[in-house]
Amino acid sequence: MKAKKLLSAALAVGMTVSLAACGGGTEDSAKDGAKDSGSGDGKTIVFSTNVVGGKADALEAACKAFEEETGNVVDFQAPGSDYEELMKTKMASNQLPDLFTTHGWSVARYSDYLMPVNDQEWAADIDDQIKGVITNADGDMFVLPVDIDIAGLICNMDVLKDAEVDVDAIKTWDDFAAACDKVAAKGKNPIHMGGKDSWPIGQFFDWAAPSFYVTDDANSKAEDLKGGKFDTATWESVAGLLDGWVKAGYLNEDCLTADYNSDIESLASGNTAFCFYGNSAIMDAKGVNPDANLGMIPVPSASAGDEPSLIAGEDIAVGVWKDTEVKEEAVELLNYLAKPDVMKTIAEAAGSKAGLKTAEAEIGDIGEYLKKYETVETYPYFDREYLPSGMWDVMCTTGADILSQKDGAVISAAKVMEQNFNDKYMP
Amino acid sequence: MKKRNRVMNLFYIPALILFSIFVIYPLCKGIALSFTNWNGYSQTYKMVGLSNYTRMLTDKNVIRAFINTLIYGGMSTLLQNVLGLALALFLNQKFKGRAVTRTLVYLPVMIAPLIMGYVMYFFFSFNNGALNDLLAVFGKEAVDWLSDGKTAVAILTIVNSLQFVGISMVIYLAGLQGIADMYYEAADIDGATPLKKFRYVMLPLLQPAVTSSVTINLIGGLKLFDIIMALTSGGPGYDSHSLSTLVHRTYFASENAGYASAIGIITFLLIAVFSNLIVQYLKKKEVEM
Repeated sequence: MKAKKLLSAALAVGMTVSLAACGGGTEDSAKDGAKDSGSGDGKTIVFSTNVVGGKADALEAACKAFEEETGNVVDFQAPGSDYEELMKTKMASNQLPDLFTTHGWSVARYSDYLMPVNDQEWAADIDDQIKGVITNADGDMFVLPVDIDIAGLICNMDVLKDAEVDVDAIKTWDDFAAACDKVAAKGKNPIHMGGKDSWPIGQFFDWAAPSFYVTDDANSKAEDLKGGKFDTATWESVAGLLDGWVKAGYLNEDCLTADYNSDIESLASGNTAFCFYGNSAIMDAKGVNPDANLGMIPVPSASAGDEPSLIAGEDIAVGVWKDTEVKEEAVELLNYLAKPDVMKTIAEAAGSKAGLKTAEAEIGDIGEYLKKYETVETYPYFDREYLPSGMWDVMCTTGADILSQKDGAVISAAKVMEQNFNDKYMP
Repeated sequence: MKKRNRVMNLFYIPALILFSIFVIYPLCKGIALSFTNWNGYSQTYKMVGLSNYTRMLTDKNVIRAFINTLIYGGMSTLLQNVLGLALALFLNQKFKGRAVTRTLVYLPVMIAPLIMGYVMYFFFSFNNGALNDLLAVFGKEAVDWLSDGKTAVAILTIVNSLQFVGISMVIYLAGLQGIADMYYEAADIDGATPLKKFRYVMLPLLQPAVTSSVTINLIGGLKLFDIIMALTSGGPGYDSHSLSTLVHRTYFASENAGYASAIGIITFLLIAVFSNLIVQYLKKKEVEM
């Protein structure tokens, strides 16, 4: 009997200890791994990224080549749509990956956790179109921009040609609406929006809002926004633009329940003229239909006195966690990614311009459009630059109310935006 | 005997330690966070008193999610139990293919709710959705089934109920098989009709099964999450969110962890209070066999 009790007690203690060990395993193993990979002198570097598909494959291939060259081990992690949530929990516990991509937020969200990169050799070669976007008020930069996301409205050129739309004549939102009328008259979708996942709705606001708030020098409210003052009347104009398009029937009938994939499929198959996505969507659409004649145009202006513009932002931007235990190796990997041939390969997989002047990516049709519009002025992504962190979801959900044509959705959208702006704004 | 009990009580300790680490501590931490304005990742935050709780009273998204949660909990419980009992009664008969039919009814339970949600998305999709393709065969126009909040809530309730009806069926089958034949024989001698036998013999003796099934279904419905995320993502807008999915959205997407914690605490209380009230009520109705 006594032996049984002793055995039971020993088992219970053993289970508790082993379970406790499981609970604490992640941190310990991560720290151990950071010190030594267990094979030779190489260290293990954890590299986490939000990108998926071809971009992730290219990044992983570069990491493999780095491993072969240096003997270090790169633990490459690409968790996809869970990345942002994962990073928020890691920030909360102050346990970040050694290197990670910042998906547009290197300054506003991640700068407190990243090592400045101003002193790196390649820092002087950062392309001017992205330099301002990744530099904080003190002049510090925290990431290597492997490529640059320069976005306009992506479009199916054959659909527009068939509808006799002159894309070069689209200068204002009124011109854009006239083009949509012509496309609709041909029985095609002028705009396809996949609102099921809500973020494609937010894309519209990121694309349209700068033309109302920022790009027109005569009526710019950029300083007000940065100073904590949100103009609701102007947001009513932005929201009203979308509302007008819904009422005019420019959007696909299932705009509330369709998803990104159906946007891409519709654009690639010649059923849609315009989508509010960056150029990587062109690459995805080409994957669906390699023969699709796809292109881009600058984002129209809100007034005739203003000019169309482009949006420039981070795409694959990599930073080093300031408290990493393998700083030397992490910086070595960062510098490896900055090599012109490595950067070129990754930027080509992304279908984007390389982030350093020393690398030139060959990106086919997209490259030609970027060349065509190289003199068009670029502005940062609206929510990242002019709105407090956490406003993106507000734009998405208030936009969904407009798509579903709820009573007073436009006025309500502006009020909700103002309330959240005031709640979240931090000087 | 007392010494033996003291020794045996030591065996609670491992479970209590784990329960404290993984349940009690996060709960306490959640309660503490609900009084802050934490955004979910920064190293600093401010105490905001009860404002997260008072804000909930006027937040139409929380009210909408609260109503939806009651619908998911209440209607799913009703549907699963009515259908589960009907299926159990049917499958308690002897007929060829009974085992296969039982397996088929139970099979959806084995599928992860997230996968079920994605499968159902392709069923209800506007473009190339199976349901709209079926309508097209009969010359009917395609319908965007999930674009209206009320319809989306109804669809989510039905999908959840049909997926988990197998659990209720199994519970009721076990209950039915535990009722001795003598009770039916006695009712037969008294001249009871089949309906009266069901009402006055079978149902009272099935009460323990009803308690188990209703409790499991109610808790499952009140914390519905996966299917909503896969099928509608809580949309259109906030129209099909449950309190659980709203907590997730408020915490991560809206970066309002303090407010999300407050909603989470209310969700916890809601489930605890409702399930306890229902269990107490049903326990009272149970009879001694």
